[in-house]
Amino acid sequence: MDKVDRLGWAAGVSFNAYGLRIGVRVSDSSVFDRVCGFLPPGWKAVGSPVVDRLYSIRVGGEGPRPGMRRFNILYLDGGWIFRSLDLDEALEYFETNLHNWVALYAHRRVFVHAGVVGWRGKAVVIPGHSLCGKTTLVAELVRAGATYYSDEFAVLDAQGRAHPFPRPLGVREQGEVIQTRCSIEELGGVAGAKPLPVRMVVFSQYKQGASWRPRQLSEGQGVLALLNHARAVRLRPENTLAAMRQVARRSTMLRGARGEAREAAQFILDYLDNTLS
Amino acid sequence: MIMEDQTAPKARKEGILIQELSDEVLVYDLESHKAHCLNKAAAAIWEHCDGTNSIRDIALAMGSDLNAQADEAVVWHALDQLGKASLLEQRIPQPDGKPRLSRRELMRKAGIAAMIAIPVVTSILAPKALASATSCGSPCTPASAECVAIPNCTFCPSTGPNAGRCAMF
Repeated sequence: MDKVDRLGWAAGVSFNAYGLRIGVRVSDSSVFDRVCGFLPPGWKAVGSPVVDRLYSIRVGGEGPRPGMRRFNILYLDGGWIFRSLDLDEALEYFETNLHNWVALYAHRRVFVHAGVVGWRGKAVVIPGHSLCGKTTLVAELVRAGATYYSDEFAVLDAQGRAHPFPRPLGVREQGEVIQTRCSIEELGGVAGAKPLPVRMVVFSQYKQGASWRPRQLSEGQGVLALLNHARAVRLRPENTLAAMRQVARRSTMLRGARGEAREAAQFILDYLDNTLS
Repeated sequence: MIMEDQTAPKARKEGILIQELSDEVLVYDLESHKAHCLNKAAAAIWEHCDGTNSIRDIALAMGSDLNAQADEAVVWHALDQLGKASLLEQRIPQPDGKPRLSRRELMRKAGIAAMIAIPVVTSILAPKALASATSCGSPCTPASAECVAIPNCTFCPSTGPNAGRCAMF
């Protein structure tokens, strides 16, 4: 750690996120504000320099000789974990690593890989692996008037409520892999601030030409399907199961292939209006 | 000397977490990290596996619990599934060596009316605590939708020269 400490750091912050103390420092103060944009939503700066995990970002750029470039290097505690000539790539890795660590070790919260929106005081959770069309469905629901909560993690508490994790959406064009960051304001939506009780869980997979005819899952089948997307079930199975049980008891859980997101989004909102009012 | 009754199955109670739902029971195995969902019939049978009840006792108790007819073939079917899921202290071999009936054969034998009493155990392997949520182990294409299942993957950048490809470090 001493070796990394001696590299020289221009700016930094200790912060608290979901009960975890994390530090981040950068070698170039001009990128500090950008780095802060990658911290977990809801982070709060703390005065103490004592942290559970310390990230250090050494910004690269032009080298000492013409045509020579220095790597952007990400250190975790005492060793480097990633380097790239592209700063954006390094910062994206930093965000992925940080958010996933928070998802694994967050105190009193259960993280599920899922999109979340709010509708008239109820939360809809849309679990799914990457590329299953989760963000597309979240974006469509937001365009239809739902409140944005997350496109990456459903953050659940012991009562089965979903808390906001409103990072910018990672939108992919159809057939593309590369994501473009899109703020919720650009979509014309608003981000939620208060936790909402989960009333619907939708397991959907995009399939070209499919029409949306979901089937309802039993409580137990729904919990099993949710567990498949939980981040820390092996580390904290008791908390994870308890939160999911609360979600399952109060939610309608649906599974099915969907075609265009608009059809599924309208179905979800109509269902919430008609059956859960 | 008291001989242990080989046809009195005993439910495993150590190293598992149990969550009771309205009509089902969820069991999490802390050793194998598998989660199992027992439907009402399977849960009723599992509950009566106390190491003293015979197969016949369990069938009678299950029938009474569910208010449905249940014969020993149904219990054997459940024991087979519970044994495979490691939810019994030890797997119980069927004495006469007859192959156990599949769910389809049971339904055919019992009739549709008895479907409610067909025990079903559904299992999943809990996902590993990966450090990465969105990544894959090969060039990232929409075809590899299940990319998190590919091992040795750490990160799939969406920007920079490696965009759309998994960067393995």
